[in-house]
Amino acid sequence: MKQDVKNPLVVKLVFALGSLIFLSPVLWMALSSLKDPLTVTAYPPRLFFEPTLENYRELFGRTDFLHYTWNSLIVAGCSTILGLVLAIPAAFAISWHRLTWPATVSLFARMAPGTLFLLPWFIMFSNMGLSGSYTALILAHSVITMPLALWILLPYFDGLPREVVESGQIDGCRGPTILLRIVLPMIYPGIAVATIMSFVFSWNYFLFALALSGFETKTAIVASFNFIGEGTTNWGALMAAATSIAIPPLVLTFTVQRWLVAGLSFGAVKG
Amino acid sequence: MSVRWMMIPAVIMTLAMVVFPLGYAIYISFGGSDTALSSGIGFSNYRRMIDDPLFWSALWITLGLFVVALVLQLVLGTALALALNRYDVVRGLVRTAILSPFMLPPVVIGMIAIVVLDPGLGAANWILQSIGLPPLLWLASPEWSLLVIALIDTWQWTPFVALIVLGGLQSLPGRVYEAAEIDGAIGFRRFWHITLPLLGPTLLTAAVLRSVDLLRFFDIIYITTQGGPGNATTTLNIYAYKLGFDFMDIGYASAVMITLAIVVFGSVLFFAALRRKVAW
Repeated sequence: MKQDVKNPLVVKLVFALGSLIFLSPVLWMALSSLKDPLTVTAYPPRLFFEPTLENYRELFGRTDFLHYTWNSLIVAGCSTILGLVLAIPAAFAISWHRLTWPATVSLFARMAPGTLFLLPWFIMFSNMGLSGSYTALILAHSVITMPLALWILLPYFDGLPREVVESGQIDGCRGPTILLRIVLPMIYPGIAVATIMSFVFSWNYFLFALALSGFETKTAIVASFNFIGEGTTNWGALMAAATSIAIPPLVLTFTVQRWLVAGLSFGAVKG
Repeated sequence: MSVRWMMIPAVIMTLAMVVFPLGYAIYISFGGSDTALSSGIGFSNYRRMIDDPLFWSALWITLGLFVVALVLQLVLGTALALALNRYDVVRGLVRTAILSPFMLPPVVIGMIAIVVLDPGLGAANWILQSIGLPPLLWLASPEWSLLVIALIDTWQWTPFVALIVLGGLQSLPGRVYEAAEIDGAIGFRRFWHITLPLLGPTLLTAAVLRSVDLLRFFDIIYITTQGGPGNATTTLNIYAYKLGFDFMDIGYASAVMITLAIVVFGSVLFFAALRRKVAW
């Protein structure tokens, strides 16, 4: 039920102002990252100041933050690819055979606290000599990306007419060929959304990297967390780190925001 | 054509990374990995919980945070959804404001909270003082820190709830409203007697999604207060993590985590049953 009302200017202004107030903590973060050490802890806080990039120079020049960002890219990138490689054929099979139990299983897995898996993983990876390795982190993060990709992709597969697949069968193609040559090109928007969302969720994820990453494989998320403990006094550098790790998910989110709004409201009503 | 076999890689992954570790955690929780043979396999880790005041305090903190944050998010999310439905503004700046908070890394939100809510130099206290209110301790306050955590989570997730409720609002049948108008039901009465009951299933979907996260609350607390001050924000998940990784008490930690998983599962079953009741 939608009421058709032309928005008066005042309504637009109220919503715009409300949005800005709502986002003010995020704007404050970006602003603080551009302040020099004296200004950032000035009280009362200063809204107007001479911006400097010194904090970013410090962060990327004099700490290993660039290396940690690279680690984040590797872990998020590889776990996204692994998640998709596992989820795409699974989604095809689940959709074609109209299976319901995989959804139930992934729902159960989602209810368990992440900490529950950590101790067994920790022991497993130690025994395999993988403690603190990229492999351990990528496998752990795939536990997030695989079900997420599956959940996003299933409606796209379900939306395909069965004739599409059947026509491929008539031409003598086998399952994998049909998937690669016929089905995938038809659902590439779904693949794009699943890729972006998987990357964002893996990039953002804190707990697994906190417990499983080693000194060399620390992600930017965990490195930023360590900054809090090391030197809360240097707020400028802290906010520069926060801004740096916030930019990739925010930028990527904007590329799929239309889908996010529609997908969330639609998915919930359907489910 | 059978393509069932194409699920095999995903199934193997699930078995290796989810099912086996879960079974292993249950095994550990029953004392399966204890090197002291005298303790043996049994319920000792679960019995220990009953006499552990920290476990009970963590359970109440978990439930308190869950109830307060869930109620706030459902009420505010519904209000926001009604406003968004009344005025079609979900684009541009408004859409950015709605989507940003829950797509940001929790670490970023924790870091912002630390800087903005600093009792000495934070912007939040400066705002309070400039409108004539006394400054607060925020996350450093033993009494209020849990509420502050609930408010941070509410800031982050209310827009998410609003989007789900908005989807529910837009799928409501228009005929009901025409009938209501004839009966003279308008304004708040229309909302209370018609919209709200019809929204029931949608609200419960949102409640399930949020309660799963709220009962397992970890990230923002671990980043900002680490469970403190004292144990004021030590939820079950934080407690279990500390038991396992700081104190290496892995048997007991696993038992607490499994108890938490059962609590989450119970709440999902509860909401699912409630959802069937309010379905139309």
